Amino acid sequence: MSNPWIAIGALAVVAVVIPVSMIAVSSLLRPSVPEQGKTTVYESGEIPTGDTRIQFNIQYYMIALLFVVFDIETVLIFPWTVIYNDAVSQFGMGSALLPMLAFIGVLVIGLAWAWRNGAVRWVSSDRARETTGGAQ
Amino acid sequence: MTFTETISGLLPIAGPISDFIGGAVASLIIVSFLMSLVAVSGIWGKRKITAAFTDRIAVNRHGPFGLLIIVADAVRLLSKELIVPEGVDRPAWDLGPLVMASSALLGFAVIPMGTLFGLNLQVADPQAGLAYVFATASIASVGLVMAGYSSNNKYSMLGGLRAVAQNLAYEIPLVVTGVSVVLFAGSLQLSEIVAQQGQTLVSLGGVAIPSWYAFVNPFAFLLFMVANLAEVGRNPFDVPEAPTEIVAGWQTEYSSVYFVLCYLSEFIHIFLGGAIIATIFLGGPAGPFLPGFVWMVIKILAVYLFTQWARSAIPRVRIDQLIEIGWKGMLVLSFANLVLTAVIVGVIA
Repeated sequence: MSNPWIAIGALAVVAVVIPVSMIAVSSLLRPSVPEQGKTTVYESGEIPTGDTRIQFNIQYYMIALLFVVFDIETVLIFPWTVIYNDAVSQFGMGSALLPMLAFIGVLVIGLAWAWRNGAVRWVSSDRARETTGGAQ
Repeated sequence: MTFTETISGLLPIAGPISDFIGGAVASLIIVSFLMSLVAVSGIWGKRKITAAFTDRIAVNRHGPFGLLIIVADAVRLLSKELIVPEGVDRPAWDLGPLVMASSALLGFAVIPMGTLFGLNLQVADPQAGLAYVFATASIASVGLVMAGYSSNNKYSMLGGLRAVAQNLAYEIPLVVTGVSVVLFAGSLQLSEIVAQQGQTLVSLGGVAIPSWYAFVNPFAFLLFMVANLAEVGRNPFDVPEAPTEIVAGWQTEYSSVYFVLCYLSEFIHIFLGGAIIATIFLGGPAGPFLPGFVWMVIKILAVYLFTQWARSAIPRVRIDQLIEIGWKGMLVLSFANLVLTAVIVGVIA
């Protein structure tokens, strides 16, 4: 039984080589006709207004914070699911399930708390609230 | 015995180097097959399917059934001029499509593609297979952010930000629902999960119904299908691209071969989603009469057809609605599914 991760590494190499070779083939085939105006940023044919790299309102900032918590929790659920079947037959259902229920329960209560405090939503900007008259 | 081991067994040398060569040959074959599947279904099939949904004919001039459009389009797309817009962040802008395309292919390393002519077409079979597949499937969002932020385009930026919001909303329901089948199988190894689904669930009039987890836990299957639509960014969850709102989202500024890579990665991603669904819910390559590999491809294409159907039939949700569906609906349901499955497995065991 060989180490499966060597084969996965080989596939990773192949998965990089094939797109790179496509780029190489394309660079041999394609023309290059530099023209003024062609390289302008696309804004539906209009002359671009202002810079893209401005301070921007990330409206799901609180959700991103929540995500980190739940993502780590998901990783911690993985090993439990693997041993669950054996654990039930060896130690009974109570001791296999209840600790995980407590763990998930804490997180669900956390989610409910965040929900009640209005963190789990798309925060519309002040300007959007003005134009839609506070709807949403 | 995996595909890699079969090939490295043919080599005169042994050890890690022979494993690597075997793995490279095996993955070259699998990746080439995937690329041709993308070529057929992405260039030709997609047009035909959308045309059928909208009562049109679509391509029919190039060769039989218009199939030669595949060759024409491949040449056309690769020989287009690459327009580099002003002010793009060069390394990130070039790497974005590369990251998306490569990471989508990575997941196929562990997918059991079934047997064909006695060959087991699975590149590798690590014990942490399912965890690995979920990990690789979500790398693509890094590529999306790179593409969106480095393009120096307002539409791309919005598309990239929306892609992140979508991933935040759907990653957890997807993984938690996927993990609920591990409660039945007791292993993350994909070949083991497939083998567990070979058992008979019930016998109806002499026909044995296998215990595919889609039959055992239809609720989880439904949840996973919906979360998968969001994962691959198809309607009703195609907000990152949203052609009628933000042009093409994160891929607005990509032309020529970079566009090909973006397009390729989207389709490979849909196939990877289909392969995950087939493996953990539909018994993997199992099926009567035909070889396992053929069944696996049929199941992957069935999921692909489902995404195209959803694309044609279902309107897009708004981004704020998507956050609500993800966090207030799917997340709660996926945890309910996990706990219920655990209780049922515990009572039966």
